[in-house]
Amino acid sequence: MANVKVSALHKHFGPVHAVRGIDLDIPDGEFTVLVGPSGCGKSTLLRTIAGLEEIDEGRIEIGGEIVNEMRPRDRDVAMVFQDYALYPHMTVFGNISLSLRARRMAKSEMEERVGRVADMLGIKSLLERYPRQLSGGQRQRVAIGRAIVRNPRVFLFDEPLSNLDAQLRDEMRGEIKRLHQEIATTMIYVTHDQVEAMTLADRIVLLRDGVIEQQGAPLDLFEQPTTLFVAGFLGSPRMNFVKGRLEGGPDGVAVKLNGGGPAWPLPRGRNPVLANGAEVIVGLRPEHVGRAGTGPAAQGFARVEAAIELVQPTGSRSYATFKLADQPVMAELQAHDISHAGERMCVDINLRRVSLFDPGTGKAL
Amino acid sequence: MVQLAPADILPPPGAGRSSRLVSAFADRYFKWLMIAPAAILILALSIYPLLFSLWVNFVNYDFQIPGHDFVGLQNFLQVIQDPLASSALVLTILLSLTVVAIEFVLGLALALAMVRTFRGRGIVMSLLVMPLFISPVIVGQSWALFLQRPFGPADYLLGQLVGHPVNISWVGEVPWVYIAIVIADVWQWTPFMFVILLAGLAAIPQHLYEAAELDGIGGLQTFVHITLPQLAPIITLALTFRLLDAVKLFDIIFMLTGGGPGTATYTASFYLYQIGFQQFHLSIATAGSWIFLILLSVVIMVLVRRLLRVEAA
Amino acid sequence: MKARLTPWKLGTRRLREGAVRIVIVGLFIMFVLVPLYWVIVTSIKPSKDYLTVPPVWFPAEPTLVHYTAALFSYRGLQGLINSLIISSAATLLSAVLGTMMAYSLARFRTGGQHLAFWVLSQRFLPPVAIVLPIFLLFRGWGLYDTHIGLILAYTFMTLPLSVWMMYAYFRQLPKSLEDAALVDGLSHWQAFRLVAVPLAAPGIAAAAVFIFISVWTEFFFALILTSRYAFTLPTIFRAFLGFQGAQYGEACALATTSLVPSIVLGMLVQRHLVRGLTLGALRG
Repeated sequence: MANVKVSALHKHFGPVHAVRGIDLDIPDGEFTVLVGPSGCGKSTLLRTIAGLEEIDEGRIEIGGEIVNEMRPRDRDVAMVFQDYALYPHMTVFGNISLSLRARRMAKSEMEERVGRVADMLGIKSLLERYPRQLSGGQRQRVAIGRAIVRNPRVFLFDEPLSNLDAQLRDEMRGEIKRLHQEIATTMIYVTHDQVEAMTLADRIVLLRDGVIEQQGAPLDLFEQPTTLFVAGFLGSPRMNFVKGRLEGGPDGVAVKLNGGGPAWPLPRGRNPVLANGAEVIVGLRPEHVGRAGTGPAAQGFARVEAAIELVQPTGSRSYATFKLADQPVMAELQAHDISHAGERMCVDINLRRVSLFDPGTGKAL
Repeated sequence: MVQLAPADILPPPGAGRSSRLVSAFADRYFKWLMIAPAAILILALSIYPLLFSLWVNFVNYDFQIPGHDFVGLQNFLQVIQDPLASSALVLTILLSLTVVAIEFVLGLALALAMVRTFRGRGIVMSLLVMPLFISPVIVGQSWALFLQRPFGPADYLLGQLVGHPVNISWVGEVPWVYIAIVIADVWQWTPFMFVILLAGLAAIPQHLYEAAELDGIGGLQTFVHITLPQLAPIITLALTFRLLDAVKLFDIIFMLTGGGPGTATYTASFYLYQIGFQQFHLSIATAGSWIFLILLSVVIMVLVRRLLRVEAA
Repeated sequence: MKARLTPWKLGTRRLREGAVRIVIVGLFIMFVLVPLYWVIVTSIKPSKDYLTVPPVWFPAEPTLVHYTAALFSYRGLQGLINSLIISSAATLLSAVLGTMMAYSLARFRTGGQHLAFWVLSQRFLPPVAIVLPIFLLFRGWGLYDTHIGLILAYTFMTLPLSVWMMYAYFRQLPKSLEDAALVDGLSHWQAFRLVAVPLAAPGIAAAAVFIFISVWTEFFFALILTSRYAFTLPTIFRAFLGFQGAQYGEACALATTSLVPSIVLGMLVQRHLVRGLTLGALRG
């Protein structure tokens, strides 16, 4: 068990500057998810922590010990790979026990340990099989078993679920979360899937172009994104972005959408330090745009009339697209709130949950 | 709930082993240690000999004349002024271009004929590629036997074919001797072209032909507009490999014609062998091989660089 | 309007194409087989059948007398044993060293393009340019006409083949297996020995067979670097140059002895032929 500390880390691949100065402090026992679009450097960061990539600049500490020069085998970390990386010429037992054999453990102790882990993962009956005889989910379990059998200080996961089909992915996701609750070891998990990141993480670290865009608890990132990029990356369907400008009014600041429409007064406490008339991007999550009730719009809500252009039912919810001040916006409606495209209805927008961004810098206001 | 107790924390691998320092060193320089044995062997048997022969170029290293006197460019001049050297070079170029062209055409025809699967294709394949596994010396010797006059079967079979007795001196007369060499080389190396081109043909996606058929494109047009362009990189590869091997032509000449009649079938390799190992003018032969090497290096540079690029793509 | 292919027309076209195919392939198979058959049949022909017109295609009294003569009077047995020793040892050495180098090139990009290019160029060096200085050096080092000398020379000669075949093979194996092994606590060497090599075993076996065949059939190096002691099977054919004394049977017996093993081995790796012929540049 150990904390992991990364300071001022840089990594180049030839002309590509893959990791550009990352500082990260992961406390002992935390489940940290590194997330971001492909090419953002998340896998590289993970591999440098494992020792599979050498670093160009900076420092990596595991349990207070600088491991920059340390070989992977001496770092006492375990890793689960995207393609499972099971040794095809070894049985499940051989796969799980290789790390113990590398440490010259006595055979009886080895069997006992492998047995315990196999029990824990429900793969005890598969120990004599070869990886090619296993299903995707079973392979995944073996890969996890191989990691936990030697009780490492840190677990590293490199997109471990991306090769599974959707149903199995949901199931394994739950198991990994349960595993963390049971063994409470530091885990660092790389994924490009924001749902995985949200569901698993104690803390999300969102990377972009080799730097950390924002980090924090999943709900903090979701509710208070500091940049346009974070706001757009987390949440599905994606946050709606509409252009507008700020206007001073009698009751504080209001925002007026480009292309006409009323000015929306911003709730108290949202006083962006920007000049009157400054351009902004307004971020609205689809779940904060809903069908209007019968009475007048509640305090902090804005009501608009919408001509629905496109309906995408998912069963429990239906997503309806309409034009708000000439810009497309998606609303999340109850399945029976809408039947077909072309319908006109009133929708309420929750102004308290609106995010504002500076279009120049992409930073939240 | 299963808990792995803290007592389960394992020692690092290799802890307490006396060889730990050695293994750490080996691990750090692993990639170089892996290369070292092969690289040393290549260095010892190619770079070192080449440097050594660079020195031999400029001295007298003749088993018939004692001493190693510095002779300047004398050895090079000997080769350049030898009319046999230039005729051997010209013959090498002409012969290699001829055999490679014939092997390419035949190989492509065979590959086109064999690209569809049919019953017994495996056996036919095995028969077609057999010459590749036979020593060129044996190929030369077998054709020498087959083309023997008057008792070899070649003249007899030809006689049966044309209806009157044929009496060709295959290895004793120009131009027949060239034809004999070409036949032997084509016999051995056409399968090389065939195998590579067949692999190339098989790799062309079938849907391209289906699309062409739907578009109403005829057979010859399909070949020109789909097959050839798709096959182009593989053709380059096959021609490069074959050409660079063909210019080394030696074994077949050695067994089939011995360079004769006279010196009519001296190729570059055979010429250098004669000078160096039959007449023991080692320094002249060395100078000659350097000239040959430099000429070839230009070709190798261009062709192999292109090859690496084809492979990278 | 363009004429459409009626099923009937399509049928005749297919038929005609099929006929052309059969003729091309059939003629070439004849071309390949007839000389080969002639060699084999001559090796079991009694001497009186040599010089007849028309030639004897099916000897009435086949004999193995030429085999005993070739093996014992022409030191064929000695050559066979030498060839076996030298080919096996060179194959082993070349496969091991080549696999190691290929692994380093493929996984660590050791030396980048330059090293790879250098190895590949070795394959195309004309032997005559390299063998002269090797000959002189071997005389100085006492390696001339020794098994070890020829083994080293052949290892050197076949290294480009083994390095490039294995390089291509390792490149298509997933690297994550070795990464997993490193994280599991193995050293680089252990990851290579316990994970990469077992996975590459089929490729190594195929490469080894190609190395064996190219050493087994090699003539030029053996001609120059050996004489009375470490000579290999192919060099014995010098004795039959021009067939003075009409030892057709002996020559053919020796040829058959040499070509049968290499053809049999070749058939075993036919599946990998394209990779073998192109140094792994093409997969086939």
